[in-house]
Amino acid sequence: MNWIGLVAAITAFLSIWIGHVAVRKIESTSRTIWIPAVIAIAFGLSLEYWSLISDNLSLKTALGITGFTLLWDAFEFTRQEKRIIKGYAPANPNNPRHAKILAEHPSATTLHLLNRHPIGRPVSYNEAIRLVTEHCLVDTES
Amino acid sequence: MNLSGLTIGITTLLIIGLGFPLVIRGERYFGYLWWPYMMGIGLAIIIVSLFVSTDWLSVVVGVLGATFVWGSTELKDQAVRAELGWFPFNANKFRPPFEKTIEKWKVPHL
Repeated sequence: MNWIGLVAAITAFLSIWIGHVAVRKIESTSRTIWIPAVIAIAFGLSLEYWSLISDNLSLKTALGITGFTLLWDAFEFTRQEKRIIKGYAPANPNNPRHAKILAEHPSATTLHLLNRHPIGRPVSYNEAIRLVTEHCLVDTES
Repeated sequence: MNLSGLTIGITTLLIIGLGFPLVIRGERYFGYLWWPYMMGIGLAIIIVSLFVSTDWLSVVVGVLGATFVWGSTELKDQAVRAELGWFPFNANKFRPPFEKTIEKWKVPHL
């Protein structure tokens, strides 16, 4: 048995999951996106350095994967902000940066349009809003 | 191949990148109800990695499996994105076996 593949699989899955949730939460509450991005880059590079100097294969694998996931997360902060502008992810009106986006971009919304089950056919924008507001599902999931 | 953590990290990023077209195309042609099969394929690939004696190959196989498992949890959201017109919608999907049973299960969503 070679456990290194399992170590890589678990690290990849967990770091993507945590990064996915954290980027959304942080982008939603942070007044700037450059500060969290710089922190993610700093952590990512530190983990890569630690990975390079480590002698243990499992440890260098886990650090190498988590470090690159963090570097990708830094880039995801800008991608997430673009989703907010397009209305693909919900804006947080209590965040001044998001409030500005809501005022300047008619496409931006506080609704989480993905927060429902598929119904099996294309929907209009008004129907999409009804589907997420009628079932009281709004903002219960991240 | 010298397995530096850096190489592993970059390789992982590239393999996970395959997850984007996998989820988009998979949902378009097959539908989100294939999620248990996609998750099963991912877990099977991870088990295969245990029997790969070459370290770098075991890592590649393991990460590929993790990509399938992660992708299975993204199919539901992708189905809604297609319904919203953010991605092309295809009504003629290739339905999964035991579709009615799977419909009753809670879709994983992370």
